[in-house]
Amino acid sequence: MDRKELEAKVIELVAMAYGKDEADITVDTDIKDDLGGTSVMMVGLVSEIENELDAMVPLQIASACKTVGDLIDKIEEEL
Amino acid sequence: MNILDQLYEKAKANPQKVAFPEASNEKMMQAAYETGKDGYIIPVLVGDAAELKQLAAERGYEESVFTIVDIHEEDYKNEVIAKYVALPHTRLKEKALARRMEDPLYYAMVMQAVDEADVTFAGIDNTTGDVLLAGQMIIGLKEGISTVSSIGLCDIPGYEGSEGSLLAVGDSAVCTNPNAEQLASIAISACDTVASLLDWEPRCAMVCYSTLGSGQGELIDKVTEALKIAQEARPDLAIDGEFQLDSAIVPAVAAKKVQRESKVAGKANVVIWPDLNVGNVAVKLIQQFGHANAYGPMLQGFNKVVCDCSRGAPVSEIKGNVVISAVRAAGSKR
Repeated sequence: MDRKELEAKVIELVAMAYGKDEADITVDTDIKDDLGGTSVMMVGLVSEIENELDAMVPLQIASACKTVGDLIDKIEEEL
Repeated sequence: MNILDQLYEKAKANPQKVAFPEASNEKMMQAAYETGKDGYIIPVLVGDAAELKQLAAERGYEESVFTIVDIHEEDYKNEVIAKYVALPHTRLKEKALARRMEDPLYYAMVMQAVDEADVTFAGIDNTTGDVLLAGQMIIGLKEGISTVSSIGLCDIPGYEGSEGSLLAVGDSAVCTNPNAEQLASIAISACDTVASLLDWEPRCAMVCYSTLGSGQGELIDKVTEALKIAQEARPDLAIDGEFQLDSAIVPAVAAKKVQRESKVAGKANVVIWPDLNVGNVAVKLIQQFGHANAYGPMLQGFNKVVCDCSRGAPVSEIKGNVVISAVRAAGSKR
């Protein structure tokens, strides 16, 4: 999976976990400021990343990511 | 008989299966053994079976007291995974789940999720964060509950409240700065926790520095909004406010300050703090000046009972918390 495909997949998973429209999410979307949400939603996202991408990103690391792009960087390190 | 003795008796009457994913830890194995040997629980040790058997023998424990589950045994693991993924609303699929289950903490929780255990008891080697994450990922939160939280049970010498010397308080340990929705969840979970543990009819007061509009401001607005959410979500529960602490627990003050019908005012047996600053300070005040014993924190909000003990806890405290969690599990089946 190249970077572009990975970005598209992660954006799909983020949209699903946070109940947002995929079209409103980019790599620059700020996870806390733009998506809001609760820690439970981040748990859901981390679980889906494990299921769909076979990458285990620790919750603390995922929670510390500022943007969706930062999260994709961390996933890439795990792949 | 104090409250802890009563809970020990209650546990013995209906022993529950408690999974211990940190059983190689000396203190944890001792607590599991002693509570199991005395018939309060059925201890299920989850880990490397060969190591656990060797440790049990070295420590002089009868192996027959324990049920030992080997996380390396593939048949049972696959059976449990198949049951788990067939459940509705689970997060992890087979492959991700199997990988997580290499960690005994996750293995124990999966067993609990499929009713192979009633409680998962951990926290001596894992951090609170580890336990909370595993709980949210594997056990999940109850429907309509937006946060994990906790309550403590205070036994306060000289206090003559509606449950004698006992008062349940929350959240003093987990949810730092709840929003209104989360505060409502804490109140609802607290009512369910005391009902399952103590058979109380919960009377839950949401407290702050105002009684029914005597003060104004955003700190109070959060509490009144939370109250509205909680009452709408669970009209079956007696949750009321906003009250100052004395209006909540002192009948004479309630008679003066609460000029309307209330099932809770003056006789609350559950008090919900507005945030963790208040909760932490309040519990320490109760302990220091009221010379109270405070039991807990008991985690709540999960679909099933998950227990996190302090990493510095002595065996006696671990045993008490094991028994409390077992009684909660039995109570929540009713």
